[in-house]
Amino acid sequence: MGIQYLFIFAQVHDEFRIPELFSVAELHGFEITFPPPADVSRPFMILVLENELHARLLAQRCILVKYACEFYGRGKTYMELHEQTRSNHARWSKYVQDTPFKFFISAYNHTIPQRRQKDIVESFDYMDFQGKIDMHNPEVTLACFEEYRDKRGTTRHKHEGDGDFEEVFFGRLVEEGTARPLIKTFDVKKRTYYGNTSMEAEISLLMANQTLASPGKLIYDPFIGTGSMAYTTAYFGALVFGSDIDGRQMRGKEKQPGIIRAAAQYGVAHRIVDLCTFDVTRNPWRCGELFDAIITDPPYGVRAGAKRLGRKARPDKQQRAKPAQPFISKQLDDQPYIPPTMPYELSSLVGDLVLLARYLLKPRGRLVFFLPTVTDEYEELDIQTMLCDGMEVVANSLQNFGSWGRRLITIRKITSERYPPPMFTSASNISEDGSAHTPAHKYFREKYFQGFRKSESEEGQGVTRSTSG
Amino acid sequence: MVRLITHNLLACHAKGCTSNNFPLQFKDVQVELREAEFNPDFLRGFIPRLEWGALVDAARQLGDTSLPAEPPEMLDVEFLQKLHHVLLEVHVEEGAMICPNCNHVYPISNGIPNMLLAEHEIG
Repeated sequence: MGIQYLFIFAQVHDEFRIPELFSVAELHGFEITFPPPADVSRPFMILVLENELHARLLAQRCILVKYACEFYGRGKTYMELHEQTRSNHARWSKYVQDTPFKFFISAYNHTIPQRRQKDIVESFDYMDFQGKIDMHNPEVTLACFEEYRDKRGTTRHKHEGDGDFEEVFFGRLVEEGTARPLIKTFDVKKRTYYGNTSMEAEISLLMANQTLASPGKLIYDPFIGTGSMAYTTAYFGALVFGSDIDGRQMRGKEKQPGIIRAAAQYGVAHRIVDLCTFDVTRNPWRCGELFDAIITDPPYGVRAGAKRLGRKARPDKQQRAKPAQPFISKQLDDQPYIPPTMPYELSSLVGDLVLLARYLLKPRGRLVFFLPTVTDEYEELDIQTMLCDGMEVVANSLQNFGSWGRRLITIRKITSERYPPPMFTSASNISEDGSAHTPAHKYFREKYFQGFRKSESEEGQGVTRSTSG
Repeated sequence: MVRLITHNLLACHAKGCTSNNFPLQFKDVQVELREAEFNPDFLRGFIPRLEWGALVDAARQLGDTSLPAEPPEMLDVEFLQKLHHVLLEVHVEEGAMICPNCNHVYPISNGIPNMLLAEHEIG
């Protein structure tokens, strides 16, 4: 039988909350249960945990947790709340005698006026705490949160609707969310080195948590770009490898690579094991089962298109005659040879990425990546069709931008069977069972630039191509 | 950068180059030593993934002879510290890695190896 804890979340990324809790619990090897009804859209959640340490561990690592409290009571009215709190007397009676304490009164989507805050505190006088009130160093902080409806977009007077809350929650503060301030630490604008496609700090941190990053783990980003996720995973103790087809992104303009400079800013440069320039579809990895996690934001072609080695097929032009002699590079080292590249369509890239992860991950290893998708066309099946044997979806959280969104996908390798390296030919293959499901993220770039107009994306030239070829 | 752990994991991947394509040979290297965090659990877990002979040879080529020809049965702290130094603290900053089979040259510049293949080298 566990103990009930009240968790208060930041009012953002609601679909990311439970996956993050489960990831951090798995990292530390404990269980979480949610007594029904669990409504993930609300920033208040009751969790059942084995002990207080688990609540602290969650609050210390989860980016979306603001407070963790031992749960005493809740209600649509204070009367209901007090009744529950009284019946949970056993949970708080040990603090009654002479523990220095204070009250913390707060509200969601609202500010409670000082005067009523005082009334609220006084309404708890039946608890009869005998210890002294200590506002600076209390041993116990009793926390009370009123939850109001979202009033964004309405004009109102200060304190208007005060007391007209949806529900009120009460408990003993166990830990303030200490991971949340990391969002400021990793602020992209304050970073020594970044590019126009760098991932924002909060999402990079959420992604790092999905990988279960911790000391002794080895994590790989095959499209590392400017390294946004390398810093956060390394911060949590993991060693990070990065590769990119375009070395300029990793280097920047100075002698010391930009990624190393930014990593040094966060004190984690020694955890960036190496950065290599190569096309992940032509990769030099000697063997598989190397990494504990693969974390990446694949380029999906809006600001920076995905590229792979090769030449673009140009059916409108006659194929050039092949030279009789194979081309031999004679460049000096200061004039590096730049091989031709061709676009890498998103759904083939994602299919290849899952196969690559199955090859390169250790058993139980995780693949964490963003998949952009068209909101109206997305189906659950889109995710299922990109899976292969031995890989299962752990979490799928949407960040909604309106007509499109991106999904943070966490996939786990559930097999200890060894697989050969992928052939990177999924572009020319249909899915294994021969079905021809076209996922909403296919030709995402083209759809994006057409403004996601459905008729055109279905009939437009070069957008929907035959999937049987 | 280009630590020996990385060197131990990279093989030549040019088209048709599938045997004797590992380990790549260092050439004209500039080496720097930089401290890294010692994590014995990580090292113990990683030893099965290493090609031990290739690691010992690469270290010797760079002037470090601290590792035994075979990994010892007892992984004591003294040994793990030597392995830690060789795997994670030796950085090749400049130079090249050359495939012993096809002689492909993978240049290393500012610590970043260029493992890209030319058009005629891909399948």
